[in-house]
Amino acid sequence: MSAGGPGTQAAAGGGPQEHLEVFEVFRQEKEGGPMVHGGNLLAPDGELAAHYARELYGRRQESVRLWVVPRSAIRDVDDPDLLQPPMDRSFKKPVGYSAGIKQKLAQARERAAGPEADGA
Amino acid sequence: MSAPDAAGLDDATRAALAELLLSMADDELVLGYWDSEWTGIAPLLEEDVAFSSLAQDEIGHAQALYELLAGLTGEPADTIAYGREVGGYRQAALLDHARGDWAFSIARRFLYDTADAVRLDALAGSSYAPLAGLVTKMRREERYHLAHMHAWMVRLARGGDEPRRRLAAACELLWPDALTVLAPPTGERRLLDAGVLTGSFAACRQRWLEELAPLFEDLGLPFPFRRVDAGPGQPSPLEPTFPEPGPEGRTEHNDDFRWLWGELTSVYRSEPGATW
Repeated sequence: MSAGGPGTQAAAGGGPQEHLEVFEVFRQEKEGGPMVHGGNLLAPDGELAAHYARELYGRRQESVRLWVVPRSAIRDVDDPDLLQPPMDRSFKKPVGYSAGIKQKLAQARERAAGPEADGA
Repeated sequence: MSAPDAAGLDDATRAALAELLLSMADDELVLGYWDSEWTGIAPLLEEDVAFSSLAQDEIGHAQALYELLAGLTGEPADTIAYGREVGGYRQAALLDHARGDWAFSIARRFLYDTADAVRLDALAGSSYAPLAGLVTKMRREERYHLAHMHAWMVRLARGGDEPRRRLAAACELLWPDALTVLAPPTGERRLLDAGVLTGSFAACRQRWLEELAPLFEDLGLPFPFRRVDAGPGQPSPLEPTFPEPGPEGRTEHNDDFRWLWGELTSVYRSEPGATW
């Protein structure tokens, strides 16, 4: 198994490790549940990776499905200019609409009910 | 003491069933112990965990088979598993070899798993319901064991000079003993008549060899069998080009197993009858 973020080279230099690739394993605990990242492993190829994933993340019947993905297939996006831009983005958050929504709703009810209440 | 499920079996058939269960359980137990010796030293960490888990699975299968046997004989499963002398064990000669190198362990396991698969096929429809039920579960696990071993056979066979040489040498050495896994069991006729067994081991062996022939040819690995003429219109069965192994394949054990027996029974013998 290998630590390190995506982009970490699995294997450098000689030895058996140079033939190995990192696979990320996602697991589902029960049918319909979310696929959750379980961890990763080193394997020479996808077929053995699937066998290892079964033993590392499924041998105690803790998973009903595994996704075994070569780390190289993952596009890593962590650029702060993309994900944490410096400008105010509060208007993009749903909370931007909900702030004061109760107050606005109460006012709207008052307006709607007002004339009818008078006329009754 | 007799289990109700076996009530329909006469004594001779029960004895034959007991012997068959013991052979199968011992095969799984001994293979499980040998393969567990790779824990900590397998070629890579992931394989280490996986191979150890497979070894545990085999010991689990052995336990379930000993429990079935205990239901027939009334003797506790632990006593059957660990309370015998070397000569009382009934695993096939294929399982008597020490672990060897990685290629040897893979070759042995592949030969055993493929032979075991056809044996389980002949028991999945057994009239002895507890056995049919257990075999159905075991087959689901063995499918993955087999796929895992197949993956390694292909990789070692095509993995360059040294892996290929070692794998070929292991196959060459193991073939005669591999046949002992499917040597006809004692009382086979009775087991077939009672429907406990739904196909003869001779037929199982032919199916097994027919299945393996194309793979061994494809991988260029030793396959010391030839087709013999069985008469016009008859399929030509595969027969070994070496002398057929004798009937002592499950009763005479070697020094490798004597050593392993000392290991695997050491805790049991240190305090017989202890409960855990």
